[in-house]
Amino acid sequence: MNLFTNNVFRQLVSRAVRTDYLENLTGFAWLILQPLILLAVYAFVFTTIFKARIPEAGPGGFVPYLAIAFWPWTAFSEAVLRSSNTISANAALIGKVAFPSELLPLSAVTATFLMNMLGYLAVLLVLQLMGAPIHWLGLIAALPVIVLLYLFASGLALFISALQVFIRDVSQILPPLMTFWFFTTPILYSSSILPEQFATLMKFNPMSWYVERLRDFLLLGNYQISPWDLVVPVITVLLFVAALKFFRKFSVHFEDFL
Amino acid sequence: METLVQLQGVSKFYPRVHRPRERLRAFASLMTGKQVLEGAEVLSDINLEITRGQSFGIIGENGAGKSTLLKVLTGVISPSRGSVQVNARVAALLELGAGFQPEFSGIDNVRMKAALLGMTTSQLDDQIDQILAFADIGEYVYEPVKHYSSGMVVRLGFAVVAASDPELLITDEVLAVGDESFQKKCIRWIESFLERGNTLLMVSHSMYIVQKLCRQALWLHEGRSRELGDVFPVTQSYLAYHEERSASERLQRRSLRGDGGLYQVSDFSLPGDSGDKDRSITYGENLEAELVLESPDGQAPVALFGVMRADGTPVYGVASDFDEITPERLDDTHFRFRICFDSLPLLPGSYSIRGHAMDPQGIRLCDTAELRFTVAGESREMGILRLPHTWKSSG
Repeated sequence: MNLFTNNVFRQLVSRAVRTDYLENLTGFAWLILQPLILLAVYAFVFTTIFKARIPEAGPGGFVPYLAIAFWPWTAFSEAVLRSSNTISANAALIGKVAFPSELLPLSAVTATFLMNMLGYLAVLLVLQLMGAPIHWLGLIAALPVIVLLYLFASGLALFISALQVFIRDVSQILPPLMTFWFFTTPILYSSSILPEQFATLMKFNPMSWYVERLRDFLLLGNYQISPWDLVVPVITVLLFVAALKFFRKFSVHFEDFL
Repeated sequence: METLVQLQGVSKFYPRVHRPRERLRAFASLMTGKQVLEGAEVLSDINLEITRGQSFGIIGENGAGKSTLLKVLTGVISPSRGSVQVNARVAALLELGAGFQPEFSGIDNVRMKAALLGMTTSQLDDQIDQILAFADIGEYVYEPVKHYSSGMVVRLGFAVVAASDPELLITDEVLAVGDESFQKKCIRWIESFLERGNTLLMVSHSMYIVQKLCRQALWLHEGRSRELGDVFPVTQSYLAYHEERSASERLQRRSLRGDGGLYQVSDFSLPGDSGDKDRSITYGENLEAELVLESPDGQAPVALFGVMRADGTPVYGVASDFDEITPERLDDTHFRFRICFDSLPLLPGSYSIRGHAMDPQGIRLCDTAELRFTVAGESREMGILRLPHTWKSSG
């Protein structure tokens, strides 16, 4: 990244943070409140109504088990959804100023992650105060996982935002897809309670690796890693590189389609 | 001379993408790597070379492709064919408040714009007072841009561009929005910018501004380069084109007079004519015309000469009987009139001259012939003709 791109990127990120979170009064509160409310609803439904039992939930019970996976998911899904239409939303800018347009989706992802990770830290703190045994040392191990998750979101954002320019329907298809993805990722449940064939299938979902690793590191204090843990990071990096290539190949034609 | 900009065979097609199916088809052809060569052709085969220190005006009608050409030059769009090379620090002001987000305050937008123009934060901090002074919009800089008038947006945009110290400045028709005093400020700035050896490329519909600021001009017509060269001949033929267009519209309404009487024009020429091209004289030269009239009854007819601008505006008319001229008799039925307009005061541009045949009493107009000529030269004087004048000094 040269100096020019760097400057523009910084401006775009600060702009995104301000418009999406700080400029409106409720923005920042909402950032914490919305997932908290959702978390409360899920916790109520699953612990009180369904009486879900998660064997390896650990001493804290269901709520911390859910919360630790829920925030990273929110950051990921919000980043992908927010960035998906950044190109069409900034058509005026793209048509008038020459700058690397990949900065638009990337800045949206970055802003979302920055803000949600602040929320994540706050939630970890609250959980600790509520008596859940958070492994703060696990943060050191969790950080690379979160960086990789950010890269994963960025790769998808680049791919989807470019595709959205050509196929407008992407904005309509994406939200239900993300909901589907949410329920097929072990966030509300553990993959261990699934029947064998579904558990195997779930191994192909990179998001299950992310949430399970974060739970291992932050909640269970399980820092064991195996060579298998390389698969998702490698896929993530490859996806990012391919998405960037895809984006750059098609970004020269954006103006024709906007 | 160092070449800053080089365009070779640049063409731009816009694919048809209005309906989802067309979008999908265009996208599919991109995926397979096929070039999209169907759709609207906005630019075709443009060649342009700009060296350091040049000032270039791009003129043309609405929809001629001027803005698209600027977009290609700034790298906002890539050409469908041909190559573009730009080796300079470019600052472009393509449209009112390009990159300005209406929700943000002026100062925030200045930061964004400065970053897009390649300024670092510390450079901006050094220049911010100058920028605000140049824009001169007072406390409004802290208001959201959506509350600005269009003139204020341009002020702010131009102020940032001026501060970014470009080597090549590219502007679209934006200065026209500012008020008189701001326009003058911008023109003064551009003049000093050019004096420092920098390069300018501008689109304008004001030939006055183009002639004032540019030394070269490109006339784009329907996406093609119609004329390229020194600013004066190019702007003059562009203006002449417009004058002729409005003249031809008028001619359709009112066909040439002349009621087919007895006396006819048998020959009309401007001595010095070079074949089939229009006669061209230099500003201030003499213009001679020669009219041969046919008079079947052997009586000497009256000749009337009229000079018009290319759009049909009459400039001057004179008949032989006003000056009591007897024509030269060539044979029984032919008479020759020769007239010379000494040091013709017409300003550079396109004109036509008509020779009329009138009856011997100078009452009925019988026949008309028309020739076109151009006056070439460089002059910033305005109007149709030069009025003799002297400046009186007050002391």
